[in-house]
Amino acid sequence: MKHKLLVSITALWLTLAMGSAQAAGELNIYNWGNYTNPDMIKKFEQEYDVKVNLDGYDSNETMLAKVEQGGSGYDIVVPGDYMISIMIKKGLLARVEPNKMSNFKNVDPKWVDVYWDEGRNYSIPYQWGTTNFTVDATVYKGDINTLALMFDPPDELKGRINMLKDMNDVINAGLRYLDYPRCNSDKAQLKELNSMLVKAKANWRTMDYSVIEKLTSKDVDLSQSWNGAAKRARKDRPELVYAYPKEGFTGWMDNVAVLKDAPNMENAKLFMNFMMTPEAAAMTSNFANYANGIIGSESMMNADLTAAPEIVMPAGSPAPEFVPPCPQEVTDLYSKIWTNLNK
Amino acid sequence: MAETASGKGMDLKYQPGFSQIAWFCIIVLYAPIAVLVLFSFNQNRSVTVWTEFSLDWYVKAAQNEGIQHAAWISLEVAFIAMVGSTILATMAALVTTRTPPYRGLNLAVAVINQPLMVPEVVTAVATLIFFAIIKKITGVTGIGYLIAAHTAFCVPFAYMPIRARLEDMDLSLEQAAADLYAPPFQVFRRVTLPLMMPGILAGAMLAFIVSLDDVIITLFVAGPGETTLPLYILGQIRRGVTPEINAVSTVFLGISVILVTLIFLFGTDKNKGKQ
Repeated sequence: MKHKLLVSITALWLTLAMGSAQAAGELNIYNWGNYTNPDMIKKFEQEYDVKVNLDGYDSNETMLAKVEQGGSGYDIVVPGDYMISIMIKKGLLARVEPNKMSNFKNVDPKWVDVYWDEGRNYSIPYQWGTTNFTVDATVYKGDINTLALMFDPPDELKGRINMLKDMNDVINAGLRYLDYPRCNSDKAQLKELNSMLVKAKANWRTMDYSVIEKLTSKDVDLSQSWNGAAKRARKDRPELVYAYPKEGFTGWMDNVAVLKDAPNMENAKLFMNFMMTPEAAAMTSNFANYANGIIGSESMMNADLTAAPEIVMPAGSPAPEFVPPCPQEVTDLYSKIWTNLNK
Repeated sequence: MAETASGKGMDLKYQPGFSQIAWFCIIVLYAPIAVLVLFSFNQNRSVTVWTEFSLDWYVKAAQNEGIQHAAWISLEVAFIAMVGSTILATMAALVTTRTPPYRGLNLAVAVINQPLMVPEVVTAVATLIFFAIIKKITGVTGIGYLIAAHTAFCVPFAYMPIRARLEDMDLSLEQAAADLYAPPFQVFRRVTLPLMMPGILAGAMLAFIVSLDDVIITLFVAGPGETTLPLYILGQIRRGVTPEINAVSTVFLGISVILVTLIFLFGTDKNKGKQ
């Protein structure tokens, strides 16, 4: 009882102190489609007396094209890691300094000094995940935490592999397998990579984005995959296990940021601060099925999420590596390897 | 098939391979749509594995506020764009068929049909930049921009059936009315307009559908809170499609089919019997 009273008094105070005082108005959010918890939006609307308009996009590039000219009318966008660095360079994001906001203390310190926004002057974590592979443990019974399963597969997996049709995901995994650095322009090393990939491809069945469909229809027994997709595929095929290869793997993060020409700048800042509360972060994770980077949110997250091996990395697995956009010359070399591989 | 000899030899329908090619085309075009419709009635959340019949996804879609809002925006934009573009197209059709040929007539027709010739993405980017400049100068925002863009690209679609109708119409009726001292406006109201009505209705419905289905221009032009149904569906794709989308698409498909049927009914000229 006492606890309930305390909560309602706090809520009332919050409404009085912030809601009516400074935040009446609108907020226009542009996020990936099907990625925002409507209940979380309702909570924000009620707490701050703000009407939220929510629209969805299908890729970082679509979002960039639309806001680049200015005057898009949006306040909040949720770009991926590399897109944040591009947008900062282009001067599209407002330096709202979330690192000075009251809830910044909730942000996990490991997500503060990130390559795309050193010290977090522009953005805060929204959701993050990893790109690995998932494999049917009844088909292959050995140790799965190695990239050899994709690039030098055992007999039971030969011809039963799907790779993502994504240049960076495939090439970065290949470079890790050979233990060569990322954003690599060393011709000799790339040559070795090229022949390794061509040889491995003979054992791949498909290269396709539709990971869940491929796995659940039993078209393949191993697929390179994002952790959220792996979790959803496991629902229909419980034998699947998500690997954390010892050679390392790619991580990605989507981030909440404010546009420089945001028409509702103050509300945007309120929203950013709100998104760093464990409640809001947990609501987002429960809806979008990824981890969030806000300390204290775990206790409010759905049990199937906090227990999911795809979301919670086992102790002792390597830290996910966030690969910055490579220089043009590297991208050109990668493109050649990729084109050759897709022949 | 046995009748080929009896005078039907030249009929395309009786050429060898006709039915095979026709079936192939029909399957390629409609099998994916049939699958989409089928899985909208699927009970589980997979879009590839069938379990049992249910209407759950229709209920879910009907309760989804995002879908409702998007559907409402779509209908609102499509309706206003339809009215606006049909009025413009009717006027355009009149001045390109009911006047003696003049210099620049072909140019005028080409300009009216421009949205059909220019790749849509070019129009989309151009409109985006143009509107961004206007917004910066005037500070005016809102759904008006989206409606204006839709009206503009719907004009040629409304124009074509109206113009076709006018070209088919015999001038002598209008001349007879004028001979009988009907003033030009009366001729238009009592003779031309009723005669061209089937064309106008067909054009209006075509414009409505084209506006309802548009993705690319809408994607670039739509502002905050102006997500149309096609944009909503597009936004879902990356995070995984649920049969909810199949259900919405099926409803949309139904609307399109009904409208196309109506266009066909209006467009089928009763005088065609003469032929």
